[in-house]
Amino acid sequence: MKLAVLSCIHGNYEALNAVLSDIDHQNADKIYCLGDLVGYGPHPNAVVEMIRSLDIPTCQGCWDEDIVEGLNACECSYPSVLAEKRGRLAHEWTQQTIHPEVREYLAQLPLSLRHGDLCFVHGSPHSQHEYLLPNINAFVALERVLSTGANVLFCGHTHVPYIRQLESGQLQVRVYSPGQESARESAQESAKESSRTTKFDAPLKRIVNAGSVGEPRHGRPNATYVLYDTDTEQVTLREVEYDYHKTCADIVAKGLSPIFAWRLAHGLEFAERADDPTHVCER
Amino acid sequence: MLWAILSGIEGNLSAYEAVLADLRRQRQPIEALYVLGDVIAPTPESIALVEWLRSPQHPNPQPQVCQGWWEEQLLCLHGLGRTPEPTELLERHGTSTAKALWESIPRSVVAWVRSLDFGFFELDCLLIHGSSVSVSEELTPDTPPVQMLDRLLRMDANSLFCGRSGLTFQYTLQEGGIVSTIATLDRPVERQTATVRPRQIIGVGNVGRIPGRATYTLYNPYSNIVEFKTVRYGAGRGFQPRST
Repeated sequence: MKLAVLSCIHGNYEALNAVLSDIDHQNADKIYCLGDLVGYGPHPNAVVEMIRSLDIPTCQGCWDEDIVEGLNACECSYPSVLAEKRGRLAHEWTQQTIHPEVREYLAQLPLSLRHGDLCFVHGSPHSQHEYLLPNINAFVALERVLSTGANVLFCGHTHVPYIRQLESGQLQVRVYSPGQESARESAQESAKESSRTTKFDAPLKRIVNAGSVGEPRHGRPNATYVLYDTDTEQVTLREVEYDYHKTCADIVAKGLSPIFAWRLAHGLEFAERADDPTHVCER
Repeated sequence: MLWAILSGIEGNLSAYEAVLADLRRQRQPIEALYVLGDVIAPTPESIALVEWLRSPQHPNPQPQVCQGWWEEQLLCLHGLGRTPEPTELLERHGTSTAKALWESIPRSVVAWVRSLDFGFFELDCLLIHGSSVSVSEELTPDTPPVQMLDRLLRMDANSLFCGRSGLTFQYTLQEGGIVSTIATLDRPVERQTATVRPRQIIGVGNVGRIPGRATYTLYNPYSNIVEFKTVRYGAGRGFQPRST
């Protein structure tokens, strides 16, 4: 079975249409979406209506959550005061623009989806706001996959697509426990202390980041998504050209910050990178 | 010079007194006394204990206290926590315990609990009730190694001291490595090898939960030596608290 996985559409209807056409040409059997249907982009309602009309299983992204939960006041979500100010304005615009049924749809989206040994999330299994960047510590990456019980973890949120394979992982552990006793045992002789050394061998795991349909940040304005063949386990990163000029014009015409159009045209969140992008929101 | 690290006094003043007496008997002086949360429990005795901690009598050391699970639930109960409802408290202990906690701990103590740190980072050590993920997380000798390593890496600590499980244990990640390959649109495959340097997670025990028996931990940050202590107290058993 050939799966298409897409993420971070961000109200960019032009990009979504182009990606759906490409998926059609690639003969994918099923599509999964990793959330962030809205935010920054000019067509949030149209994007959600398209995803719903195609019955695409979708996770809730951080923007989807923020629209449901109210204003995103999480100071760790933005790398700078200026970026936060622009983000708040985009949030307010989206709040005012989306239809009530769109908000209801976003509210009921699950945080993760499963398909056999595949798991789909927006940011990480722990939080929609956590970035699994391609260069995070390999053991941290491994923990994220292991915590799902899956073999392949699909995520988005970073807007940069990548495939990371984790293999030959091992850890040697020594555990020393002095005699433990429960309240019931306290009148009896306590259990003897123990010390054991074990070796943990990590199984092969993969993280696949789908990039972003509507706001790519890999250095070019093209939309990105991934294909996964469940039989061969082959992953293909796809890059799709579309008329981003039209989306940029719509961003400006709708009264959204022109910098969203600028960075969309550059395919880069230039100058808006957080010092610690792995941070986890703890609201 | 030693650090004494305690957790889970749970309103048991007799147990805390017994531990303090044991600390006074140590050959090496105690440089710092850390209490990793769960000072209180849903009992009125918690108030006297909090007073002791806030105003220790000479020669007892001034403890550094951080929030534990009971403290977080108390704050949630008063609408001051990270979640609007004390969901975990209700799920684990029910409404009667929630009511007992509300009635046992006065507002003045709530204000003190709110002022407590979430944990301490001293030298290369993280001292916290649960883990770097959550005050509720129980790290035990059976926690998977990769999960343990992740909890250390989140704060880039070499040693993590925790008390949520109530157990005493020393979990040492001695060595390890992992190979990963990363492919992007512009770089076909990049191969990396990550290695692990020795790090450890210490379960510091529990002072007040089991009547007559308190466990805690001594740590020498200069030699990295960990020592687990068990104190028997009560009628006819080692340390005799003033009240008996």
